[in-house]
Amino acid sequence: MPSCDVLVAGAGLAGLTTALAAADGGASVWLVAKGHAATHWSHGGLDLAAPPGTVGGGEGVALLARRPGHPYEIVAEDLPAGLARVRRALDAAGLAYEGDLASPHGRIPTAVGATRPAGVLPGAQAAARAPWRPGEGLLVVGFERFRDFAAPAVAASLARPLPWAGAPRPERVTAVGVTLPGLAERRNLDGLDLARAFDDPSWRGPALDAIARAVEPHRGDGELRVAFPAVLGLADHPAVAAALDARLGGPWFEIPLVPPSVPGLRLYEAMVAALRAARVAVQVGFAVSAAIRTPDGRVAGLATAAAGRPFPIRAGQVVLATGGFASGGLVATADGRVEEPILGLPVEAPPQPAWLAPSMFDPAGHPLEAAGIRTDRKLRPVGPTGERAERGVRIAGALLAGARALRERSGDGIAIASGERAARLALARTVGALAVPSGPVAAGPAAGPEGRGAR
Amino acid sequence: MTPGAQPYLPPAAAPPLPAAGAAVIGLDVVRLAGFTADACLKCNVCNTVCPVARVTDRFPGPKYVGPQAQRFRSDQARSPQSARPQRVPRSPVTPLSLLEPPARPGGPGRQTAPRPLSPDLTVDWCSGCGFCTRACPAGVEIAEINSRARAVLRVQNAAPRLAGVPLRRRPLRDWALGQTDLLGRLGVPLAPLANAFLGSRRLRSLVQAVAGIHRDAPVPRFAGRTFRAAWRRAGHPLPRPGAAVSVGADGRFPRPDRAVVYFHGCAANYQEPRVAESVVAVLARNGLETIVPDQVCCGLPLISNGYYAEARRKATRNIASLAEWAAAGYRIVTASTSCGHTLKAEYRTMLDLDDPAARSVAGATWDIMEFLADLHESGRLDTQFGSLAGPGGTARPLLYHAPCQLRSQGIGLPALDLLALVPGLEPIDLDHDCCGVAGTYGLKEEKYEVAMAVGAGLFDKIRAVDPARAPAAACDSETCRWQIERATGRPTLHPVEFLAEAYRAAAPSGQRPADGPGPSVDDRPADARGAPPEPGSTASA
Repeated sequence: MPSCDVLVAGAGLAGLTTALAAADGGASVWLVAKGHAATHWSHGGLDLAAPPGTVGGGEGVALLARRPGHPYEIVAEDLPAGLARVRRALDAAGLAYEGDLASPHGRIPTAVGATRPAGVLPGAQAAARAPWRPGEGLLVVGFERFRDFAAPAVAASLARPLPWAGAPRPERVTAVGVTLPGLAERRNLDGLDLARAFDDPSWRGPALDAIARAVEPHRGDGELRVAFPAVLGLADHPAVAAALDARLGGPWFEIPLVPPSVPGLRLYEAMVAALRAARVAVQVGFAVSAAIRTPDGRVAGLATAAAGRPFPIRAGQVVLATGGFASGGLVATADGRVEEPILGLPVEAPPQPAWLAPSMFDPAGHPLEAAGIRTDRKLRPVGPTGERAERGVRIAGALLAGARALRERSGDGIAIASGERAARLALARTVGALAVPSGPVAAGPAAGPEGRGAR
Repeated sequence: MTPGAQPYLPPAAAPPLPAAGAAVIGLDVVRLAGFTADACLKCNVCNTVCPVARVTDRFPGPKYVGPQAQRFRSDQARSPQSARPQRVPRSPVTPLSLLEPPARPGGPGRQTAPRPLSPDLTVDWCSGCGFCTRACPAGVEIAEINSRARAVLRVQNAAPRLAGVPLRRRPLRDWALGQTDLLGRLGVPLAPLANAFLGSRRLRSLVQAVAGIHRDAPVPRFAGRTFRAAWRRAGHPLPRPGAAVSVGADGRFPRPDRAVVYFHGCAANYQEPRVAESVVAVLARNGLETIVPDQVCCGLPLISNGYYAEARRKATRNIASLAEWAAAGYRIVTASTSCGHTLKAEYRTMLDLDDPAARSVAGATWDIMEFLADLHESGRLDTQFGSLAGPGGTARPLLYHAPCQLRSQGIGLPALDLLALVPGLEPIDLDHDCCGVAGTYGLKEEKYEVAMAVGAGLFDKIRAVDPARAPAAACDSETCRWQIERATGRPTLHPVEFLAEAYRAAAPSGQRPADGPGPSVDDRPADARGAPPEPGSTASA
């Protein structure tokens, strides 16, 4: 069976960050996941923390870090290093994210014509947060026959004061529909189809011409900012953005859409490119089915549900970054239990009658959101009384207990910071300590003969 | 293997397979692929990885024809095993495009004439690569749903048959493409004639007109003698079914720690015996004898073309033969990732063969590269490889494509790790999703252009490297090798062939292992191996 220094389960932002940090530190790394998930569903930005009442990400992180039991209480100190690492990977892919812990959240438009506070933004979304100047207008561009973005509805909503919640806003908001070449002959398209069309230089030119022609009449006396659905190229996005800059000669930004999220795909591809460059073995498509254990019960690897029989991977250190309920890292059963399905770790969760707040839009979110695995400061899982629940395993990302990430807008920051921390602590225990050479095929770890067993 | 080295340990009984989707619904019935559709979140992740939807609008994407259309399929329409022929109403708007897709291919990305396409019938454009199933975060077996749906349509719209042979053009072609055993048995004795025929573009145009197989599609050439015939001629036994159980008593076969059972499949038997020779040689170099058991085509070409009942007959025979060896503790290796994935997974997921014998075969089957990597990881692989460096000792890049049927096995990319052990070789993962051919998909006249568009990025990456630097490419799957060779002109070999070559380079001539392969059965000259004519060439082979 293959073996490595660090084995990461989960291909969301937490798992990707963990794997990259471990590989950067010289470890041999495997990353396994049962499928794609969080990145492909996300807006592509990095939400660090924007709890109500805070103005900037750093302030939000500091506030949450003071809350007993919140993941940031443990991992906030690792956020700057993790964020810098992730941004290096994004920069290398030409995505040039904007903002940092000091940036104010601002409010940026969404695909339903609401607004939201933002964290670190993809370059193509950065102009959404720039302060609105007196007289500046917003033009929302939609593409005819593209059904995932209704520009007139978005513009109509953003023209009202309500979505902006008192924040500075454009003086006027209008919409225009652009007919892109050839779409009438094509099947029902999603954002990814359009992004791939923009990747094609021969199609891109006429398409950008059509866009520029449609935008031109809307340039009045004041300044104009232009919003597009986030479909402006996937693999060749930097070139599309540069070409659009040249055509428009003014500020523009992308609004992320429903999945498949093109900005999320760009983020994922950039991180995986960094992992490949760091010689991380990435295998998506097979769920973890069992743990490999040493005779004294320490976790020494994982087996995945490969074709025909489990495929075991031995590892000096295992990091679970399998996510929360949406990604299957946590499972809620019909009879009111919350389970961690891979190792059966003890889950900290409210009793079922208290899972949900009475109001769907409760400002504090829902108690069940905070469910997860409680850990010690080294991200090792612990039980209700603080006793170690499992050895050889660390937890990162949405699987950690204590955050209400949706309300706090803290999910990406927690993923990055906990991934960075998990990797740092794992590195301290493996590389050098066990003297396992790096590379895809490493010598066996010092864990001794393994025993297998689910749970 | 050096004397006194640790004998190779056979695996314990195969652990139980995890129930797909069981965590979501918690019932045993969800192990049927069709029911996993109920776990679909409609998140579109599968559509982002589909190589076919990437290049043509004719396929709406796996979400639509898979889990989404599944909700509109009756119970009968979900199960190829219970489907019965029925009259399908012919709509004036949507003809039976499944059975008679228009010959005019849609160019990559855009389709010139809009026409209403039912998601149910466009399932025929699914190539079965499996990327969707692996990408799905909810455990939906999308590719499996698609394959079963196609098989149901095949039964419901069955062509009349004469002696088992369908009598309509497309069904006949698809049935014939599934008959790799039959084609091999006919082609090998007639190899010079058959190869000349297949090498003639004029005759291939005739084949396209008559049989619907695209004239430029990659079609392999037949070897002058099958691997099995050469193996028997070299004095090796070809045990019949039932032989394995008598192993211990008469000592006819070495113990399971000294031998492995080799499922060569069709390609290594009829077209590429050099791959089989390499497997035998590499195993021998590591102290392992090869046992060649009774076997027929694994059935995948029939599964892919919707002929489940015939595939099931092949599968049943293979399981009956191989289960005896598995029960005796032998590992089954194969150098065909297609056969390997079929033995490991598709007998269960597609053909509903889920009895203890089928499970024991699935649990005992190893891809040859997976097997060798496992030997290496436990320190038992002979790593005394000779150098395969280029002139002047320069290291040569080896361009490697990981085929879909390997990725579907979930065993990493063992060939890359092993090839990196060979001095003078620098394996490079080409990192492209699919070469396009998907077994027999890319051979069909209406799908050829789609298949070439799917593989275009891969071909570009190969063409970008000077043949003088990288004279050959590597890929674990035979049909992908033929597709890559045909499209790029770059000879493409199985990774095990490079390992065998590196062992030969290490051993002075005459010191090959005594129990090595039989005489060469590939009677083509060396420079003709893997060098098919360029598309457009009129030269016959």
